[in-house]
Amino acid sequence: MRYCCLRFSCCLLFFCSFSLIKGQDTARITASFEESSFPEFVRIIEATSLYHFYYDPKETDSLSVSIKANHSKLSGILDQLFQKTLFHYAIDGSNRVFITKKFSISTLLPSDFFNSKKTGSITQDKKDLLSDEPPREKLKAAAENKLFEIGIKGGKDNKPNASLAGYVKDIKTGEGIVGASVYLDTPSIGVNTDQFGYYSLTLTKGRHTLTISSVGMKDAKRQILVHADGKLDIELQEYIGTLKTVIVSAEKRSNTRSLQMGVSKLNIKLIKQVPVVFGEADILKVVLALPGVTSTGEASNGFNVRGGATDQNLILFNDATIYNPSHLFGFFSAFNPDVVKGIELYKSAIPEKYGGRLSSVLDVSLQDGNKKEWTGSAGIGPLTGKFTIQGPIKKDKTSVIAGVRTTYSNWLLNTVPSDAYKNSRANFNDANIRISHFINEKNTLYLTGYISNDKFNLNNDTTYKYGNKNANLKWKHIFNNTSNVVFTAGIDHYQYGISSDGNKVNAFKLGFDINQDYFRADFSYSPNYRHVISYGFNSIFYKLHPGSFTPADQQSLVAPNILPAEQALESAVYLGDQFNVTPEFSVNAGVRYVMFNYFGPHDVNNYVEGLPRDTGTVVSTSSYTAGKIIKTYQAPEIRVAFRYALSDSTSIKLSFNTLQQYIHSLSNTVNVSPTDIWKLSDPHIKPQQGNQVSLGLYKNFKSNTIETSIEIYYKQTKNFLDYKSGAQLLLNSHIETDVLSTRGKAYGVELLIKKNSGKINGWLSYSFSRTFLQVNDPLAGQTINKGNYYPASFDKPHNVNFIGNYRFSHRYSISMNVIYSTGRPITLPIGIFNLGGSNSLLYSDRNQYRVPDYFRTDLSVNIDGNHKVKQRFHNSWSFGVYNLTARQNAYSVYFVQENGKIKGYQLSIFGTAIPFVTYNIKF
Amino acid sequence: MRKFERIHIVYALLFFMFTQCKKPFEPAVLTRDDNYLVVDGFINTSPGGITTIILSRTKNLTDTVVNIPEHGAKAVVQNAAGISYPLQETGTNGNYISNPITLDNNGQYKIVITTADNNQYQSDLVTAKKTPAIDSVAWRQGGKGVNLYVNTHDPANNTRYYRWEYIQTWEYHSQLETIWGVANGLAYLRTPAEQVHICYNTTMSSDILTGTSAALSQDVISDGLLGTILQNDSTLQYRSSFLVRQYALTPAAYFYWQIIQKNSAQLGTLFDLQPSQLEGNIHSLTNANEPVVGYMSATTLQEKRIAINNSDLQNWQSAPGSYNCTIADVPQNPANFLIVDYPDTSYAPWYYVSMGPLKLGKKVCLDCTLSGGVNVKPSFW
Repeated sequence: MRYCCLRFSCCLLFFCSFSLIKGQDTARITASFEESSFPEFVRIIEATSLYHFYYDPKETDSLSVSIKANHSKLSGILDQLFQKTLFHYAIDGSNRVFITKKFSISTLLPSDFFNSKKTGSITQDKKDLLSDEPPREKLKAAAENKLFEIGIKGGKDNKPNASLAGYVKDIKTGEGIVGASVYLDTPSIGVNTDQFGYYSLTLTKGRHTLTISSVGMKDAKRQILVHADGKLDIELQEYIGTLKTVIVSAEKRSNTRSLQMGVSKLNIKLIKQVPVVFGEADILKVVLALPGVTSTGEASNGFNVRGGATDQNLILFNDATIYNPSHLFGFFSAFNPDVVKGIELYKSAIPEKYGGRLSSVLDVSLQDGNKKEWTGSAGIGPLTGKFTIQGPIKKDKTSVIAGVRTTYSNWLLNTVPSDAYKNSRANFNDANIRISHFINEKNTLYLTGYISNDKFNLNNDTTYKYGNKNANLKWKHIFNNTSNVVFTAGIDHYQYGISSDGNKVNAFKLGFDINQDYFRADFSYSPNYRHVISYGFNSIFYKLHPGSFTPADQQSLVAPNILPAEQALESAVYLGDQFNVTPEFSVNAGVRYVMFNYFGPHDVNNYVEGLPRDTGTVVSTSSYTAGKIIKTYQAPEIRVAFRYALSDSTSIKLSFNTLQQYIHSLSNTVNVSPTDIWKLSDPHIKPQQGNQVSLGLYKNFKSNTIETSIEIYYKQTKNFLDYKSGAQLLLNSHIETDVLSTRGKAYGVELLIKKNSGKINGWLSYSFSRTFLQVNDPLAGQTINKGNYYPASFDKPHNVNFIGNYRFSHRYSISMNVIYSTGRPITLPIGIFNLGGSNSLLYSDRNQYRVPDYFRTDLSVNIDGNHKVKQRFHNSWSFGVYNLTARQNAYSVYFVQENGKIKGYQLSIFGTAIPFVTYNIKF
Repeated sequence: MRKFERIHIVYALLFFMFTQCKKPFEPAVLTRDDNYLVVDGFINTSPGGITTIILSRTKNLTDTVVNIPEHGAKAVVQNAAGISYPLQETGTNGNYISNPITLDNNGQYKIVITTADNNQYQSDLVTAKKTPAIDSVAWRQGGKGVNLYVNTHDPANNTRYYRWEYIQTWEYHSQLETIWGVANGLAYLRTPAEQVHICYNTTMSSDILTGTSAALSQDVISDGLLGTILQNDSTLQYRSSFLVRQYALTPAAYFYWQIIQKNSAQLGTLFDLQPSQLEGNIHSLTNANEPVVGYMSATTLQEKRIAINNSDLQNWQSAPGSYNCTIADVPQNPANFLIVDYPDTSYAPWYYVSMGPLKLGKKVCLDCTLSGGVNVKPSFW
């Protein structure tokens, strides 16, 4: 019977494609059923109307009908009747009613038409095509071969164009897919879905073929006939690859098509393919493997993009700013991979909606939670355990996803047969929650919360702690097909602390924190297919506590030293337009205007004009009361990008942008353990300014399965802070006397070869990047390296990353990472001298030497359980070795005085090969 | 296939080791035998002033020697017209000293050095600065001990940047007092000039002391802190004398000394200072990239001396002697009681017990000159 229906639907498909259905479902039915059988129900309806039913009595024998219809449409009655059942129905133009179980007989007729809730728009049947059955090619073909009509034919407007909008969703979870490309081949226009999976496209009226593609999903096509503005939601199926098939994915063309340059988009599916260190997919590790991204060494907090400092990256976790994106000396990223949907890293053409950092924007998006059923996953590894659960609170309306991770590394440290580690502790945990609530077609709310904590000490009585706390609420409102807005309000908190309690007399607590309250409104408007206009405003209120030093014990003699809080407001308005001039040539131009107000309460030192700022040159101190503006900085920022397609698989892109940054961090790297100090711009510390020009050539080979790119860039920065000779950075209430404004330049080349599909996949990237600074601040009182350009402390010329994955079969794969980079520069003490009766160290030129090069290889073997789609639990094992060559990469290099000699030490934390086994389960 | 889905209990195996996390970091540059020239001192433009330049070499981080003096160099002070005033190496500490000379107070001078290995160094021409007189050196007891302050002013408002040094001379006593000396194995009575009970030791201030009045409307230094003698310190157990030297600096010299002031050899703590680069005004003419430590200034010298007696202080507890003064008894030699032949030569006669043994004490306890001082009362005492 089922097959019969199927065949029937295929026939109807043709039928439907050519004839328009009019006038059906006008009949009104008045009837009352009390626990009637389905055949009885059919008999009465057929008797009182012109409808004729086609159904399988065997399938419907369990169905009982209790319904009161008063002048109702049949569709309304059937909707009510089949609610929460596996049945579907379809009514055609000849008043024939088809009843099917478990799957609908395609979407021959637009259901909205019947619902009459939305006249003027026709969408794909909202009912799930395949909610309970594994995907079938035939059904997919059905959707692809069907002609979707958009808008009402013969509408009054005479405009040549119409707009089409909707969500691209995962068919299994109902979740929006971020960054999917939705495009037409002729004319060549396309858009990417936003962070919610929403797209909006303006196109000429008439027949088109839409192609929709996204990493890890099967490409889909939709044939559309556009009459007027309308909606089309598109569901994509997960790509479960057959090994031998070469998948020609249009997404892979998007790197040549997309206007954006210097942007890397990675879907969590791809991130999870990357060899997993400790069996845990790691977003930052993957980011670090991208060309142009480096870190200053093992266990550094954060990363450097194109020769920028670590504080020059804006790391957004669903719009919440994350100040420290790593856990446990950087071995794990702070993002739980089970709740992440994907990442986007902007290295050069930074969209005008973002600002406040010079180097890059890393946008990590979160999953919305499964809208259709409850699922979960759990994983256990040598250091961490994690658990994630997601599902609908109210089906198709409200969904939730929550994940927690924690370590239990302490028992490991205790088992190490070395006293040095018995007394060490290392802990971290994090938790995420996101609730998405679909109010109606025009309004959706998203509530997100994140918390993370880290605590460690390395065989001494000094404990290091840091943590992030973030929460925000987003409201997406769709005005109409061509315009929408997202409002976001939230709070961010980051804290960092060191405490020591080994010696009660010296016991201390040292703390810093950063607090942000923010609000932003981001509008998007696409009047026609040639323009996408974005505009909006945002505001961040900062409150920083730049340092407090307090006794940690009653007996402690530590004198408290608490630096006063700093506060500021950073506000910006922006406007940008993505303009497709011709199919080959497009321009993205935007402007952003930023204002920064630093205000009281605060005391500001005034220095003798024209003399270096020094404790000896303080003339007076001005006190400012709460809310009093002390200093205002403002500046426009320009963002421009051009793309020219040389051919279908080759394009060339050029971008230029300028940026400002008002929050600075000073990294103290000469310590046993590096500490970071954050500082806002103030009357003495000017905002960092930067501009970058970059040029890229993109070419794809072998049906777009192999992507190659080469990008070059040149950057200039102003007012990046470096420290003066002999600077005291911790707890310095007049830090302006200890820092220098530098002028910087950075340049580099990035090469990438990437293969996303097939048995062998992965990428190889090489970056050559240099960053130089120069001190030409007349108020510095000193120069560095005689005023010549010197390498920045994160200057790492050569970086090679290889990430490879080889699939033996669906179940077995082997992955390998190889990472090499030049060691970071360091200033070494090269001698001791006595001058004026005092013994002092003679240091080399600033950053004249380098720590040993960084090299690491990881290998892992991944075994998946069987791939039966229907089974309740899916599990996977991964085992491998971290740092296969057991190289001792330097975590910190420091000098201590021992027996009258000064000795250098290099501390590596995981200085050996570390085997691991991890078990993951999904349900 | 095994039914993995039945496994509800998850578990992990682990072979996890940390080894050798801390290892010496010794890049070649740290063990190289590069010893760079260090030039200390100043060009003294006081009338009839003596210019003293101390030449030494930097030592390696692992060197245990205290100082590496530079011998056999030729050093001259030269004025802008090229007239040279030679310095003579004196003593073994790398001191190069001029004859008393009178240099023009407003002239420009430089130091020119040719080392024994024929490398040439020279400073930039510096304009002489006049140092105003020290108004007073004051001290107050309180807090951690005795604080020493300097007061000065320049009526012309011209000096603004200062550096100070002080030379502390203090009296101290041997832990045991003896009238006996030993010569040729025989004890003898020491003459007053040979006494070894009361000694005087001298030390230079070991911190860089700088100050500025740049932020003030007048060029006044009021109670500039020079140093603190910690409560109960043995240097004030009897009496101390402080000779404070004041030098005027140019702003560039001041900031150079500021860096040295901040740059201590104390390393390995959380609060470590950032590394510093020194760019002085002395350069190698032979190798432009060779670092030379030091900043040459030309100035007049102002000095002032004060003394502090223990009796002026409140509550100054006398510190117990720092040596373990074990005592040995030996029978008197019946042939000649003056013969001292105790096998342990770290002992010397303390006193004779009549009809009893010879009491011997540790030499370091008996002879104050062994503690670094001299037994001659200084002229200013």
